[in-house]
Amino acid sequence: MRRGTYVRWGVPVAAAAVIGAAIGAGPVIAAVSGDPVLPERSAQQLLADAASVTSKAGGVPPMSGTVQQTASLGLPALPQTGDTSPLSLLSGSHEVKVWYGAHDKVRMAIPTQLNETNLILDGDQGWYWDSSTNTATRLTVKKGAGQEHRTPMPQASDLTPQQLSERLLADAEQYTDVRVVNTAEVAGRPAYQLVLSPKAEGSLVQEVRIALDGETYVPLQVQVYAKGSAEPAFQVGFTQVTFTPPAPENFAFAPPAGAKVEERTLGDMPHGEHVAEERAEQAEHVKDRVKVVGDGWASVAVLPFDQKELVAKAAQAPKGGERFGPDADPKALLDSVLKSATPVSGPWGSGKLIKTKLVTALLTDDGRMLVGPVTPEEITKAAGIK
Amino acid sequence: MSAAETAAETAAETATRRTPGLVPVGETLRSAERGPRQPAADPGTPPARMPWSFWRLLGSELGLTFRRPRNLLMLAALGVVPIVIGVALRVVAAEDGMGGIIEDVAGNSLMLTFVSFSFLVLLFMPVVVSVVAGDSIAGEAGAGTLRYLLAAPSGRTRLLAVKYVNAVVFAYAVTAAVALPALATGLVLFPAGDVTLLSGTTISMGDGLLRIVIAVGYVGAGMAALAAVALAMSTFTEVSIGAIAATIVLIIVCQVLRAIPELGSITPYLLPTRFTNFDAVLRSPIDTAAMGEGLLAFGAYILLFGSIAWARFSGKDITS
Repeated sequence: MRRGTYVRWGVPVAAAAVIGAAIGAGPVIAAVSGDPVLPERSAQQLLADAASVTSKAGGVPPMSGTVQQTASLGLPALPQTGDTSPLSLLSGSHEVKVWYGAHDKVRMAIPTQLNETNLILDGDQGWYWDSSTNTATRLTVKKGAGQEHRTPMPQASDLTPQQLSERLLADAEQYTDVRVVNTAEVAGRPAYQLVLSPKAEGSLVQEVRIALDGETYVPLQVQVYAKGSAEPAFQVGFTQVTFTPPAPENFAFAPPAGAKVEERTLGDMPHGEHVAEERAEQAEHVKDRVKVVGDGWASVAVLPFDQKELVAKAAQAPKGGERFGPDADPKALLDSVLKSATPVSGPWGSGKLIKTKLVTALLTDDGRMLVGPVTPEEITKAAGIK
Repeated sequence: MSAAETAAETAAETATRRTPGLVPVGETLRSAERGPRQPAADPGTPPARMPWSFWRLLGSELGLTFRRPRNLLMLAALGVVPIVIGVALRVVAAEDGMGGIIEDVAGNSLMLTFVSFSFLVLLFMPVVVSVVAGDSIAGEAGAGTLRYLLAAPSGRTRLLAVKYVNAVVFAYAVTAAVALPALATGLVLFPAGDVTLLSGTTISMGDGLLRIVIAVGYVGAGMAALAAVALAMSTFTEVSIGAIAATIVLIIVCQVLRAIPELGSITPYLLPTRFTNFDAVLRSPIDTAAMGEGLLAFGAYILLFGSIAWARFSGKDITS
């Protein structure tokens, strides 16, 4: 081998190094320039500031950006349910583009390959546009309904921000250690991170991190870490954000020629009043039978559960029910979940254990289901309490 | 390594050369150095020094590429696909009741171009591009003509550059071979007029044509990045079908990897992932971030595989 050969091959190696550096440049630059340091704040100060800034500015400032949601919950492998199913949110990563002008001027778009779904709210009317079905749905907000939750921020009408944050923290600190990290960075912006770590030993949740923008105090990111993993099990947050008012044409929507136009009034139950009543009744009924064992982060819900009945029901349910999206087969879904369960037994009896990173569920043979964000040991302990 | 050593080594090499027809690296490198010196006698026009022979060589390469029946046949076959898609959609749309893309195309003629791209960009266009780019060096080597190309004072780097530019021009020809018939078919079969974007907003037809031009530029850049990969493959073999097959296998492997949800973290780095980003022009506002990332990825692929091709080709002994 000639020495020139090494020199020559140095060129592609250098090219690879340059590309690798460019890909990794973001983290490297961040590491070199050091973490952004915001003035230190206690959790109470931070919440008080956030509440006062948002109430002064009249809610969230105008902004636009890209929100990414990633989940690796360690679920048993689910059968393919299609992109539009809510179940698809439980694994993988999803991207939503957001334009926020004011509390009644919002556009959200989910871009997929040669398709796009849009939700546009402008004043008291909204549009839902689905390019795959070429359908525009006009959403009318029913008067009275939906007015209560205009902004998801706590409304500090009867409390000063300080009192509000004090009360919130007092409630939280019973079960949770709260601290503030002032060196976080989200979407290239320095941010405060409110770290909530459960005090309970048996909890599967290591900590929950809520990032607030250092300047505007807008929540930029929520991360849930499971015990013993460095990557968040669930994360939703901005990957890119700008705090400038988005262009007004984002909120103007007119159904294109040739599109199907449908009407739907929000606040109206799509299936009529009696279904809603039935559901409420059902909920009442279940509530009577649900028991909670333990408290705080280690609480376990115990509910009656008949496995055979559920399997029979799922088999009867029509394929592509609206709850799981058009392509989902409830029976296949249930089968795959039950298959992944491990049989366990103890002095409390026997049953099947379904483990994920954040939630454990136990189906006992005597017809109970226990669900909670706790370790398998905790849940079997809870199963012993009748 | 000192200059004397180098000279001695080269001399020794030339002396020990026995294989008939073998052109060692040193010799062609020297012939390359001799080449560009001649026009240097005229210092008044320095920019004209290298280009003249470069453009002449490129012109002859392009002539060969676009006169070759195989290449013309491939372009023609690609051009037929949008026509078939258009006619099929026209028939289906007449029956009504179909949603999504079919309705988009039936609604405005320009959409057929984007639909044709989305059908062809993942496999058929890459195959056609890799046939030409994979053949570029290996084909000459296999036919025994590479020696003569290097015997002329053109230099290896310049020959490689000419071959790559030729492949890029062909990549854009492939893109145009899809876009133009698609546009023509769309205009004939479907109503012309305002274009409805994926976001549900409507733009004028002129704006729509502009967006087609942007999409053609983007898809062509993606094909050019693929051509760099095929060119690098081409320098490693003397059997052109080997380079072509290797590139196509690589594309298919990438598609398989993309289909596995557990490998979601590597998909952004695979070249075919970026090919479909041309649909960013169909959003409102145009998703410049997605296209910018795609173009950066293409640039990275061209840089990496271009330099691999150069490193391999400039150090290769031409044995046939």
